[in-house]
Amino acid sequence: MTPETLDLVAGWVSLVLTLLVFSYLLADNVLYRLAIHVLVGAAAAYALIVATESVIKPWLDETLLVESAGRDEATVMALRAVGPVPFLVGVLLLFKASPRLAGVGNLGLALVIGVGVAVAIAGAVSGTILPLTRETGQAVDDSVVEGLIILVGTISTLIYFQFFAVERRGVVQRPRGLRSLSALGQFFVTATLGALYAGAILTSLAVFSDVVRAQLEFVLNRLGG
Amino acid sequence: MGSHRLIRLLSSVLVISLGLTTLVGLSTAEGTPPADFAAFVLSLVMVIAAVAVFVGVINLLAVHLGRVRRAERGWPYSLLAVIVALGVIALRIADRAELWSGDLEGEQLSERAFEAVQVSLESALAGLVLFFLVYAAYRLMRRRVTVWSLVFTGALLLALIGWIPLDGAEVLADARAWFIRVTVGGGARGILIGVGLGTVAAGVRVLTGQDRSIRG
Repeated sequence: MTPETLDLVAGWVSLVLTLLVFSYLLADNVLYRLAIHVLVGAAAAYALIVATESVIKPWLDETLLVESAGRDEATVMALRAVGPVPFLVGVLLLFKASPRLAGVGNLGLALVIGVGVAVAIAGAVSGTILPLTRETGQAVDDSVVEGLIILVGTISTLIYFQFFAVERRGVVQRPRGLRSLSALGQFFVTATLGALYAGAILTSLAVFSDVVRAQLEFVLNRLGG
Repeated sequence: MGSHRLIRLLSSVLVISLGLTTLVGLSTAEGTPPADFAAFVLSLVMVIAAVAVFVGVINLLAVHLGRVRRAERGWPYSLLAVIVALGVIALRIADRAELWSGDLEGEQLSERAFEAVQVSLESALAGLVLFFLVYAAYRLMRRRVTVWSLVFTGALLLALIGWIPLDGAEVLADARAWFIRVTVGGGARGILIGVGLGTVAAGVRVLTGQDRSIRG
């Protein structure tokens, strides 16, 4: 078998799988379900491969299987001692499957949640809140009218987020002075979601046309010899 | 103190202490002990996540094999999923062991299979989404028409029609560009800052021990 034959086989496999997926447009059918289960199997296997080759193996190489050349004894001992820790935590997570021992599993989860919360807070502050607040102020410097509209849009959207609202008898109520600003915020949020929806349609249109073009090219090349 | 209460207390202490030290480490300059500690626990969590993925995939395959063994409804699909998964893993092992010879020497068949199977299926599914998005937008207007559904549809149409490069309709493209830059710019910033503030509020609740869902 040559690489060219492999390309041909890959092309046919790709074409058949694409047609199986598009058969869903007619109705949910056996062909579509076959394609989806092929995807499940392949995705699971690739997730396993990436997790093993990109994370677990390098970790083992740098800790449990670390070579002592060029390192002092204490460092090597410390690295080898820390090596099994994530695997032990992984074992702790398995306890979550048992209702009686789920509390033990929480210990493993606690480590993940503690670090995850810290990363989320640091990321939200330094990656979202500060840069976007700075950009919003900058927009006013660049163009006063547009900048002011952006500023009003940002502030009214935040007010619409119910930070100042209280719930009484199942009805969300805002302070009277903020109600009109909140309605303005609802306008900005709705318009933004509409534009994002249009973006999603355009993106899927681009993907769809690309898939159809690639498969048509393959078929036409085969027909043309 | 019962063992359950002790474990709950330990969980809370672990979440708060690790969260605060990692947060301090992420906020300090590289090379300092807190930053090194944060980098260490981050790599630890990354390996834990990989171990969780590993266990999850094994569990998935075990569930599908169980369905095949019990001949449950739809078992041939499960068998197909297991065969494909084992086939991809076998291909990867063969690639790593450099088993291919002759014309195929040096080939990475698992990567070719990834392109032919995974990329093709995901692209086709992403393309399929187009039909559902358009149908859902149509259904929105078929239901009760409100001011907000009109605003949504208006924004959607402006963003779509303005995108079409029509001769003599540059004003539409300009209107779309202004709308995206100003209106959507303001709304998107508000949404993102709101999500950020919500994340910080939820995180602070966990780190101050007010959110005790971790204790089970």
